[in-house]
Amino acid sequence: MGLDRRAFIKFVVGGAAGTLFTPIPWKLADDASIWSQNWSWIPRLKYGALTADATYSKLCPAGCAVKVKKVAGIAYGVEGNSANELSKGGVCPLCATGSQMLRSPSRVAGPMKKDGDKFKPISWDEAEALLADKLKGLKGQDGKVAAISGDLSGTANEVLSGFLAGLGSKSYYYMPTDQTAMAKAWNGVMGGSGQIGYDLEEADLILCIGADIMDAFGPVVRNQKAFAAKRPMEGDKTLTLVYAGPVRNRTAAVADKWVAVRPDGAAAFAMGLVNLLVRSGKSASLGGFSDFADLAAKFGPEAVAKLSGVNPEALKDVAKALLVAKNPVIVVGSESGQGAGVALSAAGVTLNAMLGSLNVLPEFPKAVASAPDRAGLLAKDLVGWLAAVDAGKAPAPEVLFVYEANPAYSLPQAGNMAKTLRKAGMLVSFSTFMDETAAMADLVLPAPHPFERLDDAQSPYGLGKATYALATAVVAPEKDCKGTPDFILGLSGKLGVDLGFGAFEDVLKAKVEAIGADWDALAGGAVHVSDKKGSTQASLDAGAMSKALAGIKGEGLVLIAQAHLNIGTGKLATPPLNLPTIRETELYGKDVFVQMCAATAKSLGLSEGAKVKLAAGGADISARVNLSEGVMPGVVAAPLGLGRTAWDPYTKGKGDNVCKILAVSAEPGTGLSVWAGSAVSVAKM
Amino acid sequence: MEEKKTTKCGGGFLAFVLGFLLSVVAGWVVFPGLLYSELDQPIQFSHKIHTEDQGLTCDSCHFFREDGSYQGMPTNEQCTGCHSDVIGQTPAEAKYVQEYVQKNKEVPWRNYQYQPDNVLFSHKAHEPFECTECHLDVAKADKAPKYYENKLSGYSKQTMKMWQCERCHAENGVSNACHVCHK
Repeated sequence: MGLDRRAFIKFVVGGAAGTLFTPIPWKLADDASIWSQNWSWIPRLKYGALTADATYSKLCPAGCAVKVKKVAGIAYGVEGNSANELSKGGVCPLCATGSQMLRSPSRVAGPMKKDGDKFKPISWDEAEALLADKLKGLKGQDGKVAAISGDLSGTANEVLSGFLAGLGSKSYYYMPTDQTAMAKAWNGVMGGSGQIGYDLEEADLILCIGADIMDAFGPVVRNQKAFAAKRPMEGDKTLTLVYAGPVRNRTAAVADKWVAVRPDGAAAFAMGLVNLLVRSGKSASLGGFSDFADLAAKFGPEAVAKLSGVNPEALKDVAKALLVAKNPVIVVGSESGQGAGVALSAAGVTLNAMLGSLNVLPEFPKAVASAPDRAGLLAKDLVGWLAAVDAGKAPAPEVLFVYEANPAYSLPQAGNMAKTLRKAGMLVSFSTFMDETAAMADLVLPAPHPFERLDDAQSPYGLGKATYALATAVVAPEKDCKGTPDFILGLSGKLGVDLGFGAFEDVLKAKVEAIGADWDALAGGAVHVSDKKGSTQASLDAGAMSKALAGIKGEGLVLIAQAHLNIGTGKLATPPLNLPTIRETELYGKDVFVQMCAATAKSLGLSEGAKVKLAAGGADISARVNLSEGVMPGVVAAPLGLGRTAWDPYTKGKGDNVCKILAVSAEPGTGLSVWAGSAVSVAKM
Repeated sequence: MEEKKTTKCGGGFLAFVLGFLLSVVAGWVVFPGLLYSELDQPIQFSHKIHTEDQGLTCDSCHFFREDGSYQGMPTNEQCTGCHSDVIGQTPAEAKYVQEYVQKNKEVPWRNYQYQPDNVLFSHKAHEPFECTECHLDVAKADKAPKYYENKLSGYSKQTMKMWQCERCHAENGVSNACHVCHK
């Protein structure tokens, strides 16, 4: 039998038929389907022990007590720490995204040096040698080395400011917030000590003047919990919330009463209340109160109506409510959490003093003895200093450190400020993420993500008691980063600046010991709460206040920037997880929306959706109009946190940065840079 | 003509049968050998030394965590309870300490029963069954069994397939609804 063509074909057909009686086709088909489960780009789950480690997240300005949920040591989620008596298990929309932000594409991979238009990776040793070499020649020259910090509660500031002091420089500044405005008023102009606090937990009436306690002011989660505790779904409400401000924001939305107050007239509104309380026989044991009361007398209900747009009867109603309440607390600030003046802060302090609610928290003892006092640093005016540098009235620093801050993006008149920052001989950014300031820096030395670092928070502004919380590293670093205080301690050793410590952990241990707290308990997520109170002794400067208040015009179109935690902060762009939470009336496509009421729009010849150009302070932004009766006439409201030029593809290029058109002016009488409720022009495009 | 036709037909049939038989043999005998790679575990772990010589029980290393999840293969955290340094004489232990413990690396153990992420298998729910009803009986083995890796799918030869899960569920009166295993 030969194998001819026909036999060969039959052999093949037989083979094919036989294959059907083997596992080959069935097994291959099955395996092929399973193979498709294992393509390399399909993410794989990690399996292992489920744990939840407590720490303190500082992704939001005040920080949140959180538990980082992990599987096999890898963070996958965040929940509030219910053991924390202040936040009671709540977590803010920024800290909630902490585990995702560990792997953000905008994280800085390692130390980098600017090389032309690009960055070149360098080692930490190279970075230290480079800076030591540069700083050696600047030692003992005030103003040659400066630093900007956006972390207002951390002991890391003692290390950095102590280091600067050791180099002979006093140029240490905090990013401007409601806390710095209050420090300028209380610790600066009024000569008080300690930190102003707000005991919301004990209040039966909270009056917020400007301060958006549910979204932008202080420890937002604790504010919400304090409110919720006295406003149960069932049972008696034992708290009244009144919001006085230009926009029906997230505080006004849950308030019992919203009193529409022009942002530039907030101080006049507060003085009007002082006047009515004085008339009702109230007084305050503050130095210079008599002169201050005389000044307040000029702010009768009609005068206040002219300056703030508040109906005289509404003002009287608020005053009556304050007089009737047993524990009223007045919280003052700006809608955006920055740019308020001394006049508003001082009036707020006076109101609380008159109502027996003035609450001063003592400062915790310092760990770094050579560090300047925190209160004094908080009272300094960063924007004023940068304006002086820009105008050539102050020397530009040779080296400018930026820690946990993004001044190139988030300072008022951001374009100008970024230009001024470029005047520094060497800009060094200690940033976890490639933000706008890091992108223009000469040296980027990445700080670990808050979950990867040892850190602390002492009395975040807005609390009613002095508190201390510890943040511990609960996950291994994902990038080649180094704790900024540890880097500075190493650098100080090279430059012969003795800060008394070799490692930041030792600094914090000394701090905890000085406070009298328990390290292990703090590391386990407990918070140390002190019942000690600070001195309420201070003096009112009626002369300075008179000048500051004389600057209020109460007319024209003004801009208020609204801070929303879900959209992000100056130093943290919108986490990708939060992008879907931005409303279509805030951002649509690439257009940011500004809000105004129909009356304002009509006076400007605008309608819903109109494309407009907003200009102020020598800069402009483009936006679209959204008509909202939640904005009082004469006011334009715009959301902060958009218009990013750095960060990642998810957040970059969406909308415009409102900070560019926050026009800065010096508050008469105090000289503090202010921009809350600054004038703006709106033109149809 | 007729005779020639018959001859051709018979030759063709034989060719068909030959092709059929060869492919059947190849499919059942040769194909499995080609489909799987024969691999060793990264460390030649001896269950015998640990169970018989040291008196450990299965759940000394393979245990349920407090939350009910199952540890499965032990990690360095468990192993270094004894093997933070070399304590025995075997080359396998020395290799483990040098290459994994000292380098702070986890051993990439090959899992004979790996299930993909779209399967949620709870050991707790299957606790009443004997381990060996699904797993290889290695308790007294001095060497780790060979691992046969499917060259196409990447899974172990022993990995339980869905029909096996379904059959067992059916036999034990447990629901075979999708959501029971696929969350």
